[in-house]
Amino acid sequence: MKNFENLFAAWMVVWAVFFIYEVSIARRLARLKQDIESLKQQMRER
Amino acid sequence: MKVRYSSTVFVAGLIFFAGYAALFIAPDEKTMHAIQRIFYFHLPSWIAMFTALSVVFVANVAYLATRKPTWDALGVSGTEAAVVCCTIGLATGPLWAKPVWGIWWTWDARLTTTFILWLLYISYLLLRGLLDDPERKATFSAVFGIFAFLDAPLVYVSNRLWRTQHPQPVIGGGNGSGLDPAMGKVLLLCVIAVMGVMIIILLDRYRLEKLRQEFEELRLEYETLNLEPASIGKERP
Amino acid sequence: MSTSRATAILLAKELRLEFRTRELLSATIVFALVVVVLFSFAFDPTAAESRRYGPGLLWISFLFAGSLMLNPSFARERLNDTIDALRMAPISPFAILSAKMLANFIFMSVVEVVLVPVFSVLYNVSLAGVAGRLILVLALGTIGLTVTGTVFSAISSHARLRELLLPLLLLPILTPLLIAAVEATASLLVEDPELDRTWVALLAGFDIVFLTASWLLCDYLIEE
Repeated sequence: MKNFENLFAAWMVVWAVFFIYEVSIARRLARLKQDIESLKQQMRER
Repeated sequence: MKVRYSSTVFVAGLIFFAGYAALFIAPDEKTMHAIQRIFYFHLPSWIAMFTALSVVFVANVAYLATRKPTWDALGVSGTEAAVVCCTIGLATGPLWAKPVWGIWWTWDARLTTTFILWLLYISYLLLRGLLDDPERKATFSAVFGIFAFLDAPLVYVSNRLWRTQHPQPVIGGGNGSGLDPAMGKVLLLCVIAVMGVMIIILLDRYRLEKLRQEFEELRLEYETLNLEPASIGKERP
Repeated sequence: MSTSRATAILLAKELRLEFRTRELLSATIVFALVVVVLFSFAFDPTAAESRRYGPGLLWISFLFAGSLMLNPSFARERLNDTIDALRMAPISPFAILSAKMLANFIFMSVVEVVLVPVFSVLYNVSLAGVAGRLILVLALGTIGLTVTGTVFSAISSHARLRELLLPLLLLPILTPLLIAAVEATASLLVEDPELDRTWVALLAGFDIVFLTASWLLCDYLIEE
C-alpha cells in the first residue's frame, strides 16, 4: 500500500482525539462525583 | 446504565468494522491508492460536525425560549462534540493533502470556512469558561451560538465568491462525485460509525453537564441553609 | 416612552459623554494609525503592493481599532451600575442597544473619516472619483462591525478577560464582512473603478441578518 504511513497517522489521530476527549470527560466526571459526595457529607454534618 | 454500555459496545464494534472496511474492503483508488482511504473518516467527520452544530442551534433557541437548563446542557455537549469532529477533520485533511497535492494546507472555500467554524465554536466554549453566573452563562452562550450559526452560511458564501474571483490551484473538487458503488457502501458504513461516535461523545458530555447542574443546585441549597459559601467546588470553572 | 424617542435621548447621552473628553476617539484614531504605520514597517510595500494590500490593511486596522473601541461601550455602564438604572427605566431593551449601536457607528465613522485620507496619502492611493461609492462601502462595513460589536460588548462586559474576549468573539464572526469590504474597496481602488455589486449585496445581507438577530435577541442581552 502506497502512502500507508499517512493513512496510519490519520487513523491514530482519530483515535487519539476521541480517546483523549473521553478520558477528559471521565476525569471531570470522577472529580464531580467526589465533590458531590464531600458536599453531601458536609451537609449531613451540619 | 445497561442501555449506555450496550450502545457504547455497539458503536465500538461499528467503528472497528467500519475501519476494517475502510482499510481493506473498499476498492483501491486509481491515483491516490492507500492514502485516499482517509476520506472514509474525513468526510464522515464533517457530516457529524454539521449534525452536531444543528443540534446546538436547536438547543440554543430552545433554551432562550424555555429557560430549561437541559437545553443548555445539550448546547454545550453538542458544541464540544462538534469541535472534536471538526478537529478530527482538520487534522486528517492535511495528512491527506500532503502526499496528494504536495501542500499541507490551502485557503480554499471549504477549508477556510471549516477553520473559521472551529475557531467560532472554540470561542463559544471559552466564553462559557469566562462567565461565572450559570444562568448568564447559559443565556449568553445561547445568544452567541445563534449568531455563530447564522454566520456560518455567510462565511461559506463569502469564501466561495472570493475564491472564484481569485482562483486557487484546482483541488480535487467532488470527493463524492462519480463514486464507485462499493466505495459508496463503505462510506455509508463509516458515516454511521462516526455519527455513532459523535452521539456517544455528546451523550457523555450531556451526562457530565447534568451532574454538574445537580452539583450547583446542591451547593445553592447548602449555601442557603447555612448562609455561608460552600468551600467545595469553588475553583471549578 | 416610544422606542425611537428613547433611542434618541440615549444616543444624545452617549455622544455628549464621549465628546466631553474625546479620549476614546483619540485613542482609537491613534491606534488605527499605529496599525497602518506598523504595516509599512512589517511589509515595506512597493507602490503596486500598496495598491494591492491597501484595502486589506485599511479594513484590518478598522477591525482591530473597532474591537478595542467597542469594549467600553458596555463596560463603562458596569462601573457605576448605570446599566441597572437603564434596565429599570420604562424603555425597551432595543432602545438601549440601538442607541449604543448608533453611537458606536458614529464614533467609528469619525475614525474612518480621519484614517482614509491619511491612508491615501501614506500609500499614494488616489481616491478621486470614487469618494461616494467608497463612503457607501465604508458605511455598510461599519454598520456590520458596530452592530455585532455592540452585541458582543454587552456579552463580554459580564465576563472575565473582557478586553481579550471581545475581539476573540467578534473577529471570526466578521470574516464575511472583512472579505466583502476588502473586495468591494479593492474594486474601487483600481485603474477603472467599478463597484462590485456582489460584495455590496453581501455586506448589506450581513448587516440585515445581524441587525435582525440583535433585535430579536435584545431582551436576553440587557437582562439581569
